[in-house]
Amino acid sequence: MSLIQQGIFGLVTGSYIAIAAIGFTLIYGLVNMLNIAYGEYLTIGAYVGFLAADSGLPLVAVLGLGFVATAAIGWTLTKLFFRPVVEKGPIPLLITSVGVGIVVRNGVRLFSGNELRYLDVGQPAVYRFSALGGVFVNTKQLLVVGTALSAFVAVHLLLTRTNVGIAMRAMKDNESLARINGARVMRIRNLVWLLACGLGGLGGVLLGIQTSASPTMGFQQLLVILAAATLGGAGSAYGAVVGAYILGIVIEMSVVLLPAEISQLGTTVAFLVLIAVLLVRPGGITGQEVTKV
Amino acid sequence: MFGFNGGSVPDSTEYSPNRRQILKYGAAAFGVTGLAGCSSDGSPDGGSGDDSDGDTIVFGEPTMETSQFGFIMAGTNQSIDLAIEEINESGGLLGSTVEVSRRETGSDPTEFREVFEQFVNNDGAVGIIRATSAELTPNLEFVAERETPLITNGAGTTALDDYGGDSGTPEDMSDDEWVWRTIASDSVSTAGGAKYMYEQGNERMAILAGNSQGERSWANSFEAAYENLGGEIVSRLEVQNGKNSYQSELSRLFEADFDAWGLSLKRDDATTLVREWNNAGYGGQMIAESGIRSDEFVDAVGEQAEGALIAFTATSGPNYGEFEEKYREFGDAELHQWALAGYDAMTVAALAAQQGGDASPEAIQQNLASVSKPPGTAVSSFPEGKEALENDEEINYEGVLTPTDFTDDGNVVGDVRVAQLTPDGFEDEALVSADEIRDLFTS
Repeated sequence: MSLIQQGIFGLVTGSYIAIAAIGFTLIYGLVNMLNIAYGEYLTIGAYVGFLAADSGLPLVAVLGLGFVATAAIGWTLTKLFFRPVVEKGPIPLLITSVGVGIVVRNGVRLFSGNELRYLDVGQPAVYRFSALGGVFVNTKQLLVVGTALSAFVAVHLLLTRTNVGIAMRAMKDNESLARINGARVMRIRNLVWLLACGLGGLGGVLLGIQTSASPTMGFQQLLVILAAATLGGAGSAYGAVVGAYILGIVIEMSVVLLPAEISQLGTTVAFLVLIAVLLVRPGGITGQEVTKV
Repeated sequence: MFGFNGGSVPDSTEYSPNRRQILKYGAAAFGVTGLAGCSSDGSPDGGSGDDSDGDTIVFGEPTMETSQFGFIMAGTNQSIDLAIEEINESGGLLGSTVEVSRRETGSDPTEFREVFEQFVNNDGAVGIIRATSAELTPNLEFVAERETPLITNGAGTTALDDYGGDSGTPEDMSDDEWVWRTIASDSVSTAGGAKYMYEQGNERMAILAGNSQGERSWANSFEAAYENLGGEIVSRLEVQNGKNSYQSELSRLFEADFDAWGLSLKRDDATTLVREWNNAGYGGQMIAESGIRSDEFVDAVGEQAEGALIAFTATSGPNYGEFEEKYREFGDAELHQWALAGYDAMTVAALAAQQGGDASPEAIQQNLASVSKPPGTAVSSFPEGKEALENDEEINYEGVLTPTDFTDDGNVVGDVRVAQLTPDGFEDEALVSADEIRDLFTS
C-alpha cells in the first residue's frame, strides 16, 4: 500500500514542480538565463491566488488570475531589472536575478508578514481504495495533477501547432537565422517571459492550494525546479516534465524507503539521482547540452 | 523539442542598458534587501544602540524576525519594551536610562555569535536577553567566554538542564556558565505531557519531530519520560523543517500501530502537517509541542485538529493577572509564554544590576540568583523591587510565567498545564505539578 501511496504523492509533488520547471527551462533555453529569481514567481502566484480565493472568486478564476498576474509582474520585473543588464552576459544576469529574488522575497515578507496563508478552496473530498490497502487520493491532489496535465497539453500545442511556437523553436536552434527569416525576436522573448512567469505563478497557486503560501515557499522549490530542468535536459520543456516527475517520485519514495533516522533526506536522494544521471548522460534525459552555461 | 540556445544574441537597440536606471534600481534593491539583516534599536528615541555612555545602559536582544520562530518576536519585544518602560519611568536603572539594542540573527547560530560580539563590543551591552535552543546550544562555551550574562526567554533545550547559572556560588565566578532562562526546560512540559498521556491509557505512542535542536530536544525528553513510565514508543520519525508537504512522512508514521502520537514541529510546519493529517483522515489522539500554542494556530487548524493536546509550562507566575492587564494596555501583540518569560528576563536582569549597584555584566551575573528567590520581599516589577532595595530590603522577584526562582543551573521550574485544542482556542484539561514529574526528567 505504502509504495502506491507514495507514488501518488510523488505524482502530486512532481506536478507542480513540472509546471514551474517548464517555465524555468523556457527562459533558460530561449533567453540564455539561469533565473535564480524564478522561485519567487511561485510565491507571487500563491499570494495572488490567496487574495483571489479570499475574495471569493471561483477556483478557475483563482488559477487564471494566478497565471495572468504573475505573468504581468514577472514581465515587469524583467523590463525593470533584467533587460538593462542582458548585454553584460550571463553572469551579471545571474547575479541580478539573485538580487531580484531576495528583493521580491523580502518584499513579500514585508507586505504580508511571515504567517502562512491558506488558499481556502474548501475541504477536500477523500477517496479511499480498500482493494489497494487503503490507498487514498483527495480532490486537491486531483486538482494539482489535472491542472498540470492541462498545462502540459497547452504548452505542447503552443510549441507544435502555432506560429509563435514554431518561431520559439527556430530561435532556440539559431536565433540569428530565425531573425533573418522574419521571426520577431523581441516579441517572442516577451511571450516567453510572460508564459514562463505565468507557469511559475500557476505552479505557485497549486502549491499554495496543496499546502500554503509563505514568503519563502518559492525559494524552497528553486533547487528542485533547477534539478528537474537539468535532469530532463536543460532547455527542454518535455525533459523538464519528465525530470520533475522522477524527482517528485524519488523524493516521496525516499521518505518510506530510508531508515527512520534519515528519512528526512529524501531531497538529498533526489539530487544523488540527478548526479548519477548526469554522470551517465551529461545532457540529461533528453540529451541537451548544458556545457554552454 | 526545445534545446538550450547558448548563442542568444541580445537586441542592442531594444536592450540598450541605461546606467542611471540600473543604479536607481540597484539602490532600491539594496535598500529592500538590507531590511533582511538590519539592526534596529528599540529605544524610544530610535537612536543607535552604541551610545552606552553614563546615562544609558544597553541590553542586547538578538531578534529572529526572519526565522520560522519569527512569530514570537512581536510579543517578546512588546513585553521587553514594557519592562524597560517601567524601569525608565521609575527613575531608571541606577539613575540611567535603559535601552535595548536589537540585531537580527534569523535564529542562526553563526549570526548569533556575530551579533553577540556586536552587542558587547559595539553597543556596550551589559546583558543579553533572548536566544533559541538552535542559537544557544552550539554557543554555550562562546557565551561563557564572553562573561556577559545571557538571560533567555526561550531555549527549552534539555542541554541546559544541568548547564548555566552560577553553580550556587555567586561570589566565585570561575565556575559560572553565564546562561539563565526564565522559561522552564522542555523536560518539564514534555514529562508532564508524557505522564498525562500514559495515565490516559495510551501505552503505545509514535513521535514525529522536526530536525532542529529544539524539536529533537522535545522528542528526546518525551520519549525518555514516557518510557520511564512504562510506555512504548513504537515509531519515531524525524522530518525536514520547512517542507511544503508532509504527506509521505504522515503515511509512513501511520503505518505503525499506536494509541496516540506526539508532534514536535515549528508552528508553520505543524500547521501544514496538521492540515494534511486531517485531509487524509488519519485520526489518532495527538499531543503537540507547546510552541504551537498561538491564536494563529487556532485560526488555521482549530477545527481540523480539534481535540489535540498540548502540554506547556503553566503561567503559574504569581503576578500573571496584573501583568496581563499592563501588557494589553501597552500594545496589541499576542501574549504567549515567550512574552511572559521575556518580561521576567528583562526585569530580573535589571533588578540584579540594581541590587549589585553597578550596571556591569559581573554585577548582574552575581545578583541574578539572589534577587529571584526567597528570602526577601516579594516584588513583581522593577519599580517595586527598586523601592524595596532602596529601603535596604532583600528582594524576591516573583515572575509572571513562573515564580522565577533560579536554580544553581540557572533554570526555573513550573507546573505543567495540559490543554485541549478547540476551534475557539485551548481549553484547560489538567494540571500536573512540577513535583509529580521531577523524577521523569532526562538530565
